[in-house]
Amino acid sequence: MPATEYQGSFLGRISIRRNQVVSMDGHHEQELEDLDLFQRNIAERFSELLPSSPQPPPDGGGDGGDPSAPASADAPFLSLAWLRKLLDVFLCCEAEFKAFLIMGRERDPSVVAKPPLDRLLPELLDRSVKALDVCNAVMHGVDAVRHCQKLSEIAVAALEQQPIGEGQTRRAKKALGSMMAVLAAEDKESSGHKSTERTWSFGRRGSSAGTNKDRSAAVQFRTLSWGVSKNWSASKQIQAMSSNLVVPRGAESSGLALPVYIMGAITVLVMSALVGAIPCQERTGLAMHLQVPKQFAWAQPMTALQEKIGEEWKRKEKRGTAGLMEEVQRMERLGQVLAEFADSFQFPCEGERADEAAVRAAELAETCRRMEEGLVPLQMQIREVFHRIVRSRSEVLDVLDQAGKLSAPTM
Amino acid sequence: MGDCEPTLVNHEMEHHIVAAAQHLIMALRASTNLNIDDMRSFLSNVEARLSTKSTPIESRGGPLMDMEEQLRQCEIVIMRWEANQSLIWDSSSEETSEYMNAAAEIQKLVENLESVSPIRNAKQKELLLRAQNILQRAMSRLTEELRHILVWYKEYHEPRYMSCRSFVEDVVYDESFASIEDEAAELTSHAEDGCSASAERRVSLIRPDMVPALKSIAQVMFSSKYDQEFCQAYVSIRKEALHEYLVILKMEQLTIEDTLRMDWDKMSNEIKKWAWAMRIIVRVYLASEKHLCNEVLGEFGSVNSDTFVEITKASMLLFLNFGEAIIMSPHQPEKLFRVLDMYEVLAELCNYVDALYSEYAGASFRIEFHDLLASVGDYARGTFAEFRNRVALDRSQKPFGGGGIHPLTKYAMNYIKVLSAYRGPLNLLLCDREVKCLEPCLGIDNEEECSADSSCALAVHLRSLVSVLESNLVEKSKLFKDTSIQHIFLMNNIHYMVQKIKDSDLRRYFGDEWIRKHIGKYQQHATSYLRATWSSALSLLKDGGNQALSFCKPTFRERCKAFCLAFEEVYKCQTRWIIRDPQLRSDMQIATTQKVIHAYRTFLGVNLGSIGEKYIKYTADDMENYILDLFEGSPKSLPHPWKK
Repeated sequence: MPATEYQGSFLGRISIRRNQVVSMDGHHEQELEDLDLFQRNIAERFSELLPSSPQPPPDGGGDGGDPSAPASADAPFLSLAWLRKLLDVFLCCEAEFKAFLIMGRERDPSVVAKPPLDRLLPELLDRSVKALDVCNAVMHGVDAVRHCQKLSEIAVAALEQQPIGEGQTRRAKKALGSMMAVLAAEDKESSGHKSTERTWSFGRRGSSAGTNKDRSAAVQFRTLSWGVSKNWSASKQIQAMSSNLVVPRGAESSGLALPVYIMGAITVLVMSALVGAIPCQERTGLAMHLQVPKQFAWAQPMTALQEKIGEEWKRKEKRGTAGLMEEVQRMERLGQVLAEFADSFQFPCEGERADEAAVRAAELAETCRRMEEGLVPLQMQIREVFHRIVRSRSEVLDVLDQAGKLSAPTM
Repeated sequence: MGDCEPTLVNHEMEHHIVAAAQHLIMALRASTNLNIDDMRSFLSNVEARLSTKSTPIESRGGPLMDMEEQLRQCEIVIMRWEANQSLIWDSSSEETSEYMNAAAEIQKLVENLESVSPIRNAKQKELLLRAQNILQRAMSRLTEELRHILVWYKEYHEPRYMSCRSFVEDVVYDESFASIEDEAAELTSHAEDGCSASAERRVSLIRPDMVPALKSIAQVMFSSKYDQEFCQAYVSIRKEALHEYLVILKMEQLTIEDTLRMDWDKMSNEIKKWAWAMRIIVRVYLASEKHLCNEVLGEFGSVNSDTFVEITKASMLLFLNFGEAIIMSPHQPEKLFRVLDMYEVLAELCNYVDALYSEYAGASFRIEFHDLLASVGDYARGTFAEFRNRVALDRSQKPFGGGGIHPLTKYAMNYIKVLSAYRGPLNLLLCDREVKCLEPCLGIDNEEECSADSSCALAVHLRSLVSVLESNLVEKSKLFKDTSIQHIFLMNNIHYMVQKIKDSDLRRYFGDEWIRKHIGKYQQHATSYLRATWSSALSLLKDGGNQALSFCKPTFRERCKAFCLAFEEVYKCQTRWIIRDPQLRSDMQIATTQKVIHAYRTFLGVNLGSIGEKYIKYTADDMENYILDLFEGSPKSLPHPWKK
């Protein structure tokens, strides 16, 4: 995927510049220039992620501001493809940020041990630990979606049969019922008590106490598979990540403080988008907390994106859905329609109703196909993000260590 | 049932009967307490009637007619079970195979009917739909049977008997350590029963006689294109079974944040649990799970490995994430042993994981597992370096009381002793780096001795660590103003090191030459001590020789007095000093007696006349007794002698 294609220019420039001897003034100028480039890159990338709505071009100037230009045709807002693009953007920004950090440190090795970085970097590390847990929780959310995809595939296979009869509609109904149950369970936002469909204890051996025990055990197992502990809450996590994120002001705003802030904002945005899009433990009150100051070039696309996701989330909270991911919503919608069709099915079924159902089934098949193509790569990408954050964290720790600062290591 | 004669039944009539039968089924479903036996006999009566109705008229109704008859026969078998609450696999094997045959036959019917495309006549279409309907009922039933078998015939194994090893205790450097008896550390042996060498272990996860049932259900469901239903049910139940084991093994689902917040005791416990659980799960449980998958799904290609990955994914991630979390925590020397445990487990399991996830579907686990092994190795090296740093850089501001064995020495030596038990992983971890720049195989003359033991990477590192300790102790000794106690301090500490090494497994890493050399070192310090403490006092006695008669030499009386004063001074000071080792202490006292009392006794013997008995403050015997109070660690001063 295009994860690497952005990096070339920027990293290339860094490595060249490392070897140049520049005067102090030159240093400063260079730093400003780099910072500018860093911000411009971010602005550009996030603009590309914006849905093609009739908004003015975010950058105000520069490259042609055709509102339909953002590559959303092949990756509609919040679709699987879009999420994968979002993670690519995260990986790129992260790589550039790290380069920036290391470069800044090379200019002045002691800088990381001095305020404000002596405070900002540990905060950054703390934030990245939280992001790792979000990644793990979301990994399991993708699993749940995959589970639903498989169930939908059964329904599709059944409904595509020609001619369609009672047997196949019953089969479809059953699969869709299970799928809706899984989605509903994923959506239920009370943590810890998520019992998804439990069809296996159908009690042929009587409804003895054993069954109940199995059931409660199942709830326990369910929580185990969430990748995070029982009381973990995605929305609280996001909130905690953004709570200490403050725009550097005055003297602080030069140097590395600003990139650290920007990276923090990107992390929060990306993680909250994942949490919103993919089923995830305890999302009550998930909000986009970030207040990004308007004066920065990248602020506008990021704020716009955040608002967009926020709107979608509010709509979701009214209507109820397992996740904002376009494919999930579509699957839910089509599942509903097809379940109704199967429910009221009577042989013979011909004419408009049958055609309508066939169209819906084909749509669901298309959604499944996209999921089949995208979910596993998405999971791999989330894992890649996970490992990247782990690695960066240890690199930042090394930087701090070398600065002889790590007397009382934070997490 | 293929041998039944084709039947002719009027279409309408047939519909009536089928409708009535369905009615019957509904009634059966609705009512809960029926006399099943009565029902059965009634129904078999009906069945009998049906078969008597068979007449050979219009037997040549074409293939469709044959199919219809076949379908009817299957329908009877399958619908009979629809009304039955008991399990097919709990009934007789004849009934089971009858059902399975019917299901397989319907599947073939559906296939045949579908193969004629486009469907030309209404009859064919009707038959197809009917067959699909019945097939769906059979598949639905088989899914339930599958779930039931998986749940009720699941076998449970006590994980305890699969456990492999005990763990060493932590060696922690804190203030209280000095008070801990060394024996506590002696107990920590790195025991391992031979099980790690044993071959792959497997247990049966499903009662073995039920595995063929699973297999036959899989076969008929896969050929009927109900494979997705099969896999969904199979994966979800096997996944839960695995989770159940993890719960039994007390593997908690922890966030990375929680893990990093743990205090070391808790973290250490969690690591033990992790290593224990992972060894059991990967080596025994997953191997068995894989085997079961192979048995049930072996003939369905990649479905087999996909299913295995689906079942085990969440658990593998649990193990991997915990490992990642641990190595995100700061390096602390006390973590080294636990981390080496982790490394050992991971290294041991690597091949197993490779085998379990050899197919494409699990490739990422294979890679992640190897990556984790490498990272844990790096982390262990980092922790080892941190220990070395601690030993090298431990700085105290004030001299260590009494010149005894410094806590750092105890800590480092006990730590090193435990380290030596991790020879395998440490040699792996240490050999590829830095060895060459450390001191080579140290002064070992005997070729036989310069064996693998004393020249392995671990041995080189251990000797280097001890020399780092030695230099730090030399630094620490400089904190004492008095050179005598400097020597006592170094003697004590080097003696302790030598004892630790000599009496343990460490001996083979250090070699006899090292031990000889260091015995020489502490003996040298003992000699230096004697010289530093006593030579000025003894010179008072010696100066009393013949040449000392010139000028205004102090009288013998004065010299005796001065010597006693010097002795009092030493006594006051050195009773406070400490030599913990009784043998060493007594050796020092004997050496002192030999050197000092002998000289004093001679001096008194020769000069008794000129001193005058009443001016002798202490007799040689008094002094000999007083010397036994030295190095006891309890400050004393000499009682005021009654003799003036």
